[in-house]
Amino acid sequence: MIIHDTLFVLWLLLAGPLWAVVGLMVLPGVGREPEQENEGAAAITKLQIAGVISGFALGPLGVGLFYFEPKLIRRTTLAAGVLLAVFLSSQVLVRIVDPNLPSALWLILAGPLWAALAAYFIPRHYHDVDADDSNVLTAAALGGFAIGPLIFGLMWNYTPKVNRDWMITLGSLGAWQIYTLFAIQNPTNLCVQAPYQLTYLTQQTANGVVIGAIYSLMAVGLTLIYSVLGIISFAHGQLYMVGGYFSFYFLLHGARILSDLTGTEVVINPIWGIPVAGVIVFAMGALFERVFLKPMHDGLIERAAEYAILITFGFGFVVEYTTLAVAGPFPQRTDRFIEIRRFTFDRVHITEDLPFGPINIIGDRAFAMVIGIALIFALLWFLQRTWTGRALRATSQDKQAAAVAGISPTRMNTLAFGLGSMLAAMSGAALIPIFAWVPWVGAEMVGRSYVIVVLGGLGSVPGALFGGIIVGIVEALGAGCYPDPSRGAAYKEAFALVIFALVLLLKPTGLFGREEH
Amino acid sequence: MMKRKSLILSLITIFVMIALMPMSMIHADGHCEFAEEVITFGGIAPMSAPGAVAGGVAMDWAFGQAAADINADCGLEIDGVNYQIEVITGDSEGSPERGQAAAERLILENDAKGMVGVYHSAVGLATMGIMQENQIPTVFSEPWNDNVSANGIIEYDGAPPRIEDGVDYIFRVSPSSSMVGSVVTDWLIALGAEDVVLIVENTDYGQPAAADEQARLEAAGVSVEQLDVELGTEDFVPILSRIQARPQAPDAIRIVVTGETSFNLTQQMAELGIAPTEDTICVTNQIAFQSEQYWATVPDGNYCAFNRVGIIPSLFNDTAIELNAKYEEEFGDIIPSFGMASYDSVWLMADAMERAGSYTDADAIAAAIETADIALSQGRYYFTYGSHNPELPEGTPTYMWHQWPDPIVTVMQYFEQGQSALDAAVVYPEVYQTHGSAYIMPGTSP
Repeated sequence: MIIHDTLFVLWLLLAGPLWAVVGLMVLPGVGREPEQENEGAAAITKLQIAGVISGFALGPLGVGLFYFEPKLIRRTTLAAGVLLAVFLSSQVLVRIVDPNLPSALWLILAGPLWAALAAYFIPRHYHDVDADDSNVLTAAALGGFAIGPLIFGLMWNYTPKVNRDWMITLGSLGAWQIYTLFAIQNPTNLCVQAPYQLTYLTQQTANGVVIGAIYSLMAVGLTLIYSVLGIISFAHGQLYMVGGYFSFYFLLHGARILSDLTGTEVVINPIWGIPVAGVIVFAMGALFERVFLKPMHDGLIERAAEYAILITFGFGFVVEYTTLAVAGPFPQRTDRFIEIRRFTFDRVHITEDLPFGPINIIGDRAFAMVIGIALIFALLWFLQRTWTGRALRATSQDKQAAAVAGISPTRMNTLAFGLGSMLAAMSGAALIPIFAWVPWVGAEMVGRSYVIVVLGGLGSVPGALFGGIIVGIVEALGAGCYPDPSRGAAYKEAFALVIFALVLLLKPTGLFGREEH
Repeated sequence: MMKRKSLILSLITIFVMIALMPMSMIHADGHCEFAEEVITFGGIAPMSAPGAVAGGVAMDWAFGQAAADINADCGLEIDGVNYQIEVITGDSEGSPERGQAAAERLILENDAKGMVGVYHSAVGLATMGIMQENQIPTVFSEPWNDNVSANGIIEYDGAPPRIEDGVDYIFRVSPSSSMVGSVVTDWLIALGAEDVVLIVENTDYGQPAAADEQARLEAAGVSVEQLDVELGTEDFVPILSRIQARPQAPDAIRIVVTGETSFNLTQQMAELGIAPTEDTICVTNQIAFQSEQYWATVPDGNYCAFNRVGIIPSLFNDTAIELNAKYEEEFGDIIPSFGMASYDSVWLMADAMERAGSYTDADAIAAAIETADIALSQGRYYFTYGSHNPELPEGTPTYMWHQWPDPIVTVMQYFEQGQSALDAAVVYPEVYQTHGSAYIMPGTSP
């Protein structure tokens, strides 16, 4: 086993995909003959193909050969190179033990190598033939990942317009392949082990959706502030935290006052803390914007971008340490929203051999999810259907044009910052019945919010909603399916960052972001 | 005329005395006369996130209370002169590098003559080299990692032993991880647990502690699965779903996680119905002893057991009762063990300086700590092994070097919703049992 694996690793190091990429990068730049240079794009493509084949077959030897002797790049040598590549890689593959074979095959016939190649070549080809290249980079990468060289056959020859169906089909195919390979490599993993894998995956997905929807609410506030003011609020985590505390103290003192007035013990449901926290923090945010951010928009601050970072960071710092001084460091929590500790969907049998369930969802989380989604839809309604909401959107698109239409950008800035802060606070007030609340509770959450807004597309409210749910699902599945159970939870946040990095690579505007033209 | 002369003379005398008073460096404070110089101790505690701030606040309070009580008792008497003491707290933030910076600042800028405190093991391991290098006698009050004390005599991870140059200045009054772990594991083994899940924080405290517990359990034939988590994580449901998906529920889930992270974990475990149940014992962290905080954040945590470090409430001595009353007045909760240990550390250091007859001779102070014999809030302090008794008998763990051997470690269990920790049952070891039961099954009363 060790020998076989070593052979595979040696091949990966001395030839194979790595050197194919090196060849792709090296040959077009330095090995061109003058007459080839005149041939333009076709010659470059030929050199790139030569680089890939020579690198894949013979590694540094092949690349070096074509680099120093570009005249050798002929159809015959390239065909020989392909044969040699297939022969050597198959020799490596047949000597690899069974469980690794599908993975190795996939790495050669599809997977990251072909994703990189397709993402590199196909968009250029679209550009060369002047075809519509919207989303082509993403589709090419997904296609290369899922079906390897076949994607070249499809997209190179027909240059189809990429639509959502393409993305969903290719993405699903890629995901299915990864799942299959994962199942082969980790047959005892809970995510693949029959007959309970469907239950487990559904449970983890449900966990992700529930917590993700709650993440979204906080991220929506951040994205609203960005879209109108063009700044990232570094106080967002602390406003989320202080929203929880406002709710806590409102419920505590409100219940005491009502009890004193009525003479009976009164308990206020935490749901009432949500609007209270929202209103107070809206006022805080609006006041802060008026005093500290307005001068920036009035052009009174020389280095506005740096100023925005520092002033919001400072605001957050003040909020956190003031809360620490007032509330103390000891964790707090409010009563439950609902008395049902958890919702359990009992086991059913889809077929005789395929049981499904039980699925458990913590009651308060489900309730907080509903609140989160309701608030996001309320915000969407406000933005779409009211004059003020439309004014906010207009300001986010073009401040000057909005001003010409009679909208005051100054007021919209204040409103947006207030609303964004309010959403963070309401998110905190929705979560204080769920988590132990301390003055630094926002630190973890805010980091995740930045990931969500970039993933969903900066400035996009639906993007923040879906981004939050995606992050929630990825974290839950990552923690639940990671092969080493002891490390699954420890890497939870890293899984979302991987998705974040991939989206930045393939679609820098995020899933729902606007293209800048 | 004479009268007038003597009056003038008296006035001049009084004036001269008043003028010379600062020069004599003596001033009066109540019934004691103190030297002008105040002896500074450095205290290290996590006063801001991501450290365990609640723990840091309790330790900082205990340092201040100890200094106030010592000063009220006429301070440190060295060579017939009484000195007031002050404890300046440096914020470690729970991070080794911040802890090192705080230690250096306390030693170099504040001229600390002795160091006390430290909550996190990682901070203890990172700072002890600084104390050793600067020859500052140190009494750690909370880090549990075995090597905090063992490093005095053994080579660990390539680090040279501290006593290579002669004197080891590092002492510890908290238990080591192994001392705590052995009590919990012995209890689980005694209860007949065969399948245990350890949920462990990824820190210098959690990992060695879990490794020790795992080794003990496996040696007794218990199957162990370990799940690691990061401190500060709030949502544990995905990892708890792994436990729920097991074909058979584990016999016990042991949480080796500190601070509010452990509260979140315990509550989510209870909400999902994983533990405590009739099938699965819940053993959470010692922070559960802070019953006000525990019930505020883990309302479903009834019947969870937890390891308790430090003297049990029914055995509180007068000092402990008085200290606990002051703490309750300040924070509305029972004093945690690290609060008592921090209080005692300051007293231990002060006592050693008095007996050494110096607050600057580090070697003499270290020698005096080694030979300490003083009763404080947690009991009688002494150190069995040190330069005064350097030979550890075979089989004695190396962490016993400069280690107070008597911290009481017990397993306690709540059995009523909202119960005070003072009323919770001590279930193990048997000698301390308060309700005649080694485990109270959920839904029953002892």
